[in-house]
Amino acid sequence: MSTSLESTKHVKFLKRHLLMLPSSQQSHDVNRIAIIFYSIVGLSALGVDCSREYASSIPYIYQHYVKLQIPGYEEVFSGFVGSLATNVSNTSCISLPNTLFALLTLRIMKCDEFFQKTVDRESLGNFIRKCQYPDGSFASVLDMNKPTPSPVDSTDLRFCYIAAAILRLLGCETKEDFEEFIDVDRVIDYMMTKKCDFGGFGDYGETHAGYTSCALCAFQLLHGLDKLDSEFKERTVDWLLHRQVSNSGTVLLQEGKNPYYDPEENGGFQGRENKFADTCYAFWCLNSLKILDENEFNNVCRAGLAQDYLLTKTQNNLIGGFSKNDEDDPDLYHTCLGIAVLQLMNGTFDGIFCIPKQFAP
Amino acid sequence: MEGYEDVSPLPLDTGFKDELCQIMYTDEYRMVVGTARALMERREYSERAKELTGRVIDLAPAYYTAWNYRFDILMHLARGNVELLNQELEWIDEVTLNNPKNYQIWSYKEAVLKNHPSPSFKRELPILQLMLDEDTKNYHVWSFRKWCVLFFGDFSHELGYTESLLERDVYNNSAWTHRMFVLKNTSPSHDHVLEEIEYVKGKIELVPQNISVWTYLRGLYENFLNANYDDEIIQFTSTFTHGVEEEDETDVNVEIESSCALEFIAHVYALRGGAMTRKAINAYKGLATKYDPIRKNLWELKISRVTKS
Ligand SMILES: [Zn+2]
Repeated sequence: MSTSLESTKHVKFLKRHLLMLPSSQQSHDVNRIAIIFYSIVGLSALGVDCSREYASSIPYIYQHYVKLQIPGYEEVFSGFVGSLATNVSNTSCISLPNTLFALLTLRIMKCDEFFQKTVDRESLGNFIRKCQYPDGSFASVLDMNKPTPSPVDSTDLRFCYIAAAILRLLGCETKEDFEEFIDVDRVIDYMMTKKCDFGGFGDYGETHAGYTSCALCAFQLLHGLDKLDSEFKERTVDWLLHRQVSNSGTVLLQEGKNPYYDPEENGGFQGRENKFADTCYAFWCLNSLKILDENEFNNVCRAGLAQDYLLTKTQNNLIGGFSKNDEDDPDLYHTCLGIAVLQLMNGTFDGIFCIPKQFAP
Repeated sequence: MEGYEDVSPLPLDTGFKDELCQIMYTDEYRMVVGTARALMERREYSERAKELTGRVIDLAPAYYTAWNYRFDILMHLARGNVELLNQELEWIDEVTLNNPKNYQIWSYKEAVLKNHPSPSFKRELPILQLMLDEDTKNYHVWSFRKWCVLFFGDFSHELGYTESLLERDVYNNSAWTHRMFVLKNTSPSHDHVLEEIEYVKGKIELVPQNISVWTYLRGLYENFLNANYDDEIIQFTSTFTHGVEEEDETDVNVEIESSCALEFIAHVYALRGGAMTRKAINAYKGLATKYDPIRKNLWELKISRVTKS
């Protein structure tokens, strides 16, 4: 059992993901930008100067920035494709998540020049505009034959957050700035329909910590937090605090009865009621809590239980990395978010953009 | 590749020397993805193109453009042809079973159902059942189920279905919230709500320490009974708290059966206010010191709130 962060091992673990990957990873080819993002965020949060170490790969990342027209239409769109290997010349393969991941990676890589000169704000903003539905929600990709949201893509709170975050990176600050590209009131109306009875956000009434974090970040970015009434905010804080798994008091009665309760997970966070704790939900819950109630966030951090849970249960001190729980093998996503939440608790990480504070706008 | 000899696959290699996360593709991947991209580029709408997108999706279920292309092909070929659309639904079920965690499948299926001249909920029920049997809390599957219920306007299977799941695992939060979703969308009669409360009480007696069921109970009162908590429900609740909310000092030797019950009763007393405020404070004190100490700060915050009001 280890109680300190195994930085050296994590750095090795993360760097491996940027090297040659085996064919078992080819199903992730299409979202390779996401792999790069999680690795670079983790590395930079551990103090690695990625702008120096990976400087020679910057042109490669730039290649993923694609400007395109849909055959038969005048307007120009731009954004990032997830991978060059799955791109098709006359087809819109750009997506909102890959665009956000790439832009954040470029911020960590200190590519100011990209934001000042290379990026075409108009066409990128136009891409986001055309991903929005009349009800305010967003798809993450355009249809391949017309400038409308892809009919087969989902619309959910993640894409509201991603759209707002991209626009913020393009320099939008006031509501009017955002309005140049998207209908802000409608995004907010849409997100309001995803509120759940006992706090938090989710689909059709089941609160989910990941969606809650996305919604709160989007409200924050779009200056809409004051649209949420204080009772709902209180309920959300309540809900979030209840997601911390405990091994003391009456909750212990669940032992041996509730198939999703494990007192060994004391201090960890679950994503929903009656589920096991999971590394990534510590990030989603604590990030949400920080947005709504800095004081309660600090109380949880000071108690140290979340940190102990992550360091002793989900950190892998042999090969580095974090896993989702104390059983699985470590994986890139949970490694990134495990490091992220530890640094969020230290005050050095920006939860809204999910990158170290020093690189956030 | 057989059947695609006239198509030259687009290359997958970028030629960049400082490429990150370079992947050692299998020959099959190069061939299938390369050929599919070539067909996509020329917008070929044919049976063989559709077939090939299926192979791409097998290899890379997250390839969003391939899903879009497949849908385009389907719309070109089907033009209301029920046979073809039904075949597509069957194909989706197969992919679903192979990739239970992929969420792109569900929005794709919704798009197909929206374009089907005679879609049927009955057709969807077995696969939904199978998926939820495997993974009873799969968020995407539950969302799709709720989408179907609204799309088909058919709530008739849902209460019975959640009952059978709660029979299996009374802690299943997705089943409880699904039940609330059904009630909220069907405006139940007063009698129905009272029956529902009896059902819930039975589940609480079975396992009192279960946050999902207590939240559901509060939801019934808030959504259908104007949050009018009657004396009977207080009495029922206090059987699980052994009346510790009556005591000004927490007795460290008294165990209770449910911290959720204590929180519930604290909430009800706080709502009643006046002389009842003291009981709410007692309950929160008990939670802070003994029954749920990890959330001590929250309980103390609640004490300061009820004291103020
Ligand atoms: Zn996770």
